[in-house]
Amino acid sequence: MLTIDDVKKQLKDKYQAAVKNFEAPYSTRLFVDIDKSKVREISNEIIKMGGRYLVSVGYDNIARDKTLGLIHNFSLDRDDLFVCIRTSAPVDNPEFDSITPDIPNAGWSEREYMDLLGMKFKGHPKPKRLILADDWPEGVYPLRKEVPYNLMPPAAENVAYQLDEAPEGCTTIPVGPFHPTLHEPAHFAVFVDGETIKGCDYRGFMVHRGLEKLCQTQVTYNEIPFIAERICGICGSVHATSYSQALELAAGLKISRRAEYIRTIMLEIERIHSHLLWLGIAGHLIGFDTVFMQAWRVREAIMWYGEKLTGNRKTYGMIVAGGVRRDITPELGDELLGILKTIEKELITIHKAIVGDGSIHRRTKGVGCITKQETELWSLVGPVARARGVDIDVRRDHPYAAYDEMQFDVPVVDSCDVWGTVVVRILETFEAIKIIRQALDKMPAGPIMTEFAEDVKPLQHAIAAVEAPRGEVVHYLITGEENRPERWRVRAPTYPNLQGVPAMLLNDQFADLPIIIGSIDPCFSCTDRVVKVDIRTGEKSRLTKMDLEKISRAKKFAGR
Amino acid sequence: MDILYVAVNILVFLLLAPFFDGVVRRITARVVQSRQGPPLMQTYYDIFKLLGKQNLTPGNVGFKIAPLVALASIISVIVFFPLGHEVNVLAGYADIITVIYLLTLGGVAVLLGALSSKNTYASLGSSREMITMIMVEPVLAMTFILGAVKIKSLGIGASVASVAGGGYGASVIIMLVVYLAALQAFVGRQPFDIAEAEVEILEGPFIEFSGPNLALFKYYMLMKQMFYAALFVVVFIPAIKTGYYGFDVLIQLAFVSLVYVLIAVLGSTHPRMRIDQAQKFYAVLIAASLVAIGLSVYGI
Repeated sequence: MLTIDDVKKQLKDKYQAAVKNFEAPYSTRLFVDIDKSKVREISNEIIKMGGRYLVSVGYDNIARDKTLGLIHNFSLDRDDLFVCIRTSAPVDNPEFDSITPDIPNAGWSEREYMDLLGMKFKGHPKPKRLILADDWPEGVYPLRKEVPYNLMPPAAENVAYQLDEAPEGCTTIPVGPFHPTLHEPAHFAVFVDGETIKGCDYRGFMVHRGLEKLCQTQVTYNEIPFIAERICGICGSVHATSYSQALELAAGLKISRRAEYIRTIMLEIERIHSHLLWLGIAGHLIGFDTVFMQAWRVREAIMWYGEKLTGNRKTYGMIVAGGVRRDITPELGDELLGILKTIEKELITIHKAIVGDGSIHRRTKGVGCITKQETELWSLVGPVARARGVDIDVRRDHPYAAYDEMQFDVPVVDSCDVWGTVVVRILETFEAIKIIRQALDKMPAGPIMTEFAEDVKPLQHAIAAVEAPRGEVVHYLITGEENRPERWRVRAPTYPNLQGVPAMLLNDQFADLPIIIGSIDPCFSCTDRVVKVDIRTGEKSRLTKMDLEKISRAKKFAGR
Repeated sequence: MDILYVAVNILVFLLLAPFFDGVVRRITARVVQSRQGPPLMQTYYDIFKLLGKQNLTPGNVGFKIAPLVALASIISVIVFFPLGHEVNVLAGYADIITVIYLLTLGGVAVLLGALSSKNTYASLGSSREMITMIMVEPVLAMTFILGAVKIKSLGIGASVASVAGGGYGASVIIMLVVYLAALQAFVGRQPFDIAEAEVEILEGPFIEFSGPNLALFKYYMLMKQMFYAALFVVVFIPAIKTGYYGFDVLIQLAFVSLVYVLIAVLGSTHPRMRIDQAQKFYAVLIAASLVAIGLSVYGI
């Protein structure tokens, strides 16, 4: 068990002058300011302490001290501790040592900041474009403050992403940008030898919406939970919760216990519906539509309940900074218990049918295999990691909302294949039912909203993680002036998991590609942070983008 | 007058094949998947709709004639079919080898269309289709040969009728089980719809076909399914002769619809196999059918 002081001491002893400053506003978060020359060594040191790489955050600090900031975030799961290593480089030479050779999962984060902030990473193994469109002009870095959020450079003809070279003797099969396996636009170029996959290259981010930039420039703290919820069409509440928690941490606000209980219930409702949805899709991907139809039929009850409780089958709009918007009355609670009982009964039947069906085993066992070591190396998260024997779960490791009072198991299997992810997800659904029952039973009385007493102080750093159905969601927030974030970084679970897919695909059959990609329950919109902003279709009047901007700007100081 | 029987053959198959497909869809939906399902006539609507759509072709001859060849070949097969256990006049001009060749021609037409579309998915699909053809065709051939060995004739009527007609010996039982196991592969349905596999290779060989061309291919697939279902009935269920041709046909069709029920249930309770898994499965079937032939030579 490491405490903050242990970590501080170890870093100080070993790197002395390179470690400039420590900041530990709460007992579970440690921010370390370091010299950029030691980024790689200190990152490796944290990994050695048992840290797991989460995500990097790059931000524009040019106006203050002519630097670009970079933060590598790690989670020490056994010690309930987040360690954030902050460093910076002058804007005229923004070069850092790449940590990707040691921590492959940092590859995308670093490529992202090459694209968006113009950073350079020495020793990056694949410094290709990741996020920006192929015709985006060189030298325009959209996340820098000088670039307006609505800049639209002219489209260019005849530009294309250069795919990796196919290995000797392999043909390239394009999967995407539109393909029934994917459900959302993304492009996998799969290199096959006959039917055996020998490699693949990924080009995604085709529907990148620039939500972070939008929220940093156009809206205010109070509106962001709703936009955050629209990051994902399936597990939106996790983003709203994660953002709200980060903001509450930054502002030092403690919300009411009842609100925390309701958040817990909403997150678990979402987990039930998301896992049943996945089970259906997995059935469809291996050509077993009966599983698809039955899983979705069972799921329907919880969707109806969501609509009754919040007005929406999905995208509940329940969770806001400071609490939740609607209360769960005793009647609604009883109804939920009834629904859970039916779902549990039917899911037991489905579980038995799946476990007893040899043909499903044939399609999922030994498919998409990666070892526990590889999983840890790639920092994979969620059911994908738990199916490979990696015992991590934010709900238990870094308790938030009301999870500290809940009794539940974290299902972990070590079959290391797609079958494991099926088992983990079904068992997790049972656990979710268990958690909701406890939460309804123990829920204390009290208000559901806590008002912010004062303005949020600028330049506070906060990191919050939430266990989404697909894995952990991480939100990093730097508070700003004008009642909106200076920097808001979202990392959805698909972001790390998608980077592990090439390893899972290697040497498997092409026919297994759908279920392997499906097994991480990919959510490209999460990764791309898409979703249009022209929502809010009122009664027969539809708000245009311009209207929405106007409304948002008018409410610019509404929180004050 | 004899030629009328041939016309009845073609008409019955053309008219009923889409209907039976509707039955399969309905059973899958209502019985297995807790859905309402489409109307029984939906497959007719689908085909009519496709017939009214634009025909997109890459312009080469192979692509244009492939659907026609496929449909023509399956209709020629059906001409020889002993509907109502009545061997029609044209069957005398052909033997079981003709039937096997014509069935293979349909498969070749699918490959021709796929390869001339020059699509990556189509070529992947056609290589799977080719494997399926090579591995499943022997089972069909053995079924015919079993009858031929028994009656020592390659004539269609004789060899088909003699399988179950001579009583259920061990060889016939083995062949019946093998035929049922291969049924889903014959009709191209789950778990053996590997060549089309929508989520992997997007209908494989048919990906580039649209409108009337696709309708013809769909019709070809439907007719092929009905042929294999009906073939099971004539081969493995002894003839029930009432003396009236009409009744005989109806009884036979009633059995055919039972086979379709089986197809629906099998199809909706199995995930799709991978081609390498299917290959091993087919190999077992071929071996078993060879055993059946061996036994039949000794009259068992």
